[in-house]
Amino acid sequence: MELGKKIARTLERATFERIAAGGLANAELNQPSIGRSVLELGAEALGDGDAALVVAAGPSLRRRRSLERLRASGFRGTIVAADGALGACLRAGVVPHVVVSVDPHRGRIVRWFGDPALTAAPADDYFRRQEMDAAHSSDELGANQVLVELVNRHGPAIRAAVATSAAPEVTARCAQAGMALYWWNPMYDDYDAADSLSRRLHRMNGLPCINGGGNVGTAAWVLAHAVLGKRRVGIVGMDLSYTPDTPYEKTQYYPELVELFGDGFKDAFIHMENPALGETWFTDPAYYWYREVFLQMAGEAGCETYNCTEGGLLFGPGIHTVPLEDFVQAVGTGS
Amino acid sequence: MKEFLKGNYKVDTEIKETVADERSQLETEFERKALSRLGGSICFVSKKSFIWNGDQEQGEAKSGAGKEDRPDA
Repeated sequence: MELGKKIARTLERATFERIAAGGLANAELNQPSIGRSVLELGAEALGDGDAALVVAAGPSLRRRRSLERLRASGFRGTIVAADGALGACLRAGVVPHVVVSVDPHRGRIVRWFGDPALTAAPADDYFRRQEMDAAHSSDELGANQVLVELVNRHGPAIRAAVATSAAPEVTARCAQAGMALYWWNPMYDDYDAADSLSRRLHRMNGLPCINGGGNVGTAAWVLAHAVLGKRRVGIVGMDLSYTPDTPYEKTQYYPELVELFGDGFKDAFIHMENPALGETWFTDPAYYWYREVFLQMAGEAGCETYNCTEGGLLFGPGIHTVPLEDFVQAVGTGS
Repeated sequence: MKEFLKGNYKVDTEIKETVADERSQLETEFERKALSRLGGSICFVSKKSFIWNGDQEQGEAKSGAGKEDRPDA
């Protein structure tokens, strides 16, 4: 078996190791602020009909001008954005009904909401290195300031579906921008196990536990169908991979892979052809695991899933691959 | 490792832990920690439902929202 796929098989456990302690610590810090359950979102009027569109922050979002086309399409269903895609949405004039945030990292994630406290470009090159939001890679401070203003302006129209694992800096920023917060717990482990952390957390705060699928984009898709009850869910910007011309140094886990494998780090990347595009994209063990998990979940979900990313490596059983305009037309909420 | 193993009886044979065993355990531990840095931002729990809201009856909420739409395996 290829090295990358072998590593991917270990990541269910590894993710628990990576985020459980920080997520639970954040849940305690967030406890005084916790109010509404995310289940209350299911009763709110968020867009028309039974369709939702999930916006993730992969490179196809920009390459395919998905947001500009979404705006032109007149889609009137529910728009659910991953936190990393919020800036791109607002800059394109698309105000999502819901933004989802889960990652416990206390320094990085607040940047997706515009960090009013940022006064100098940080040493951490997380944003400069990657293409998730290109605006951040060229002028971090300028992009941050624009985002602060956009989020402040549109915040009152956006609901934030925040996991209790999210950094207090993020939840405070959402509240400061006027967003209404709706809370949920990440499902950390098997709630039927005797010593389950998920069960203990649920006892502590009474919130539902959501099976997040490894990343915020998948969590947003779960929220769209399992919480909002949408039966047709489209997706844009969910590549779960890197464009064919991306240098390895610009990939999300590059420093970790070099540390683990030295000069042999390239062996951890997996190259696959997207049959709809005829292009070979590549992925790393984490993104490959997200893909495998998504395919498993899509096969069991009570919704039809339409991947309108027009790029990347998310294809397979249980997923319809269609252009964005076809999805909008099919769900009948176009203008 | 020996300090973690407790028994309520004595064995006749003395069990010697080899240096290789110790090294192997350290390598496994290092590998586990290193791999955890590659993990995601939220867990995935295989063979469980999309939503769990305690052990009470999971009624279907308004508009079909909030229900467990994936059966337990």
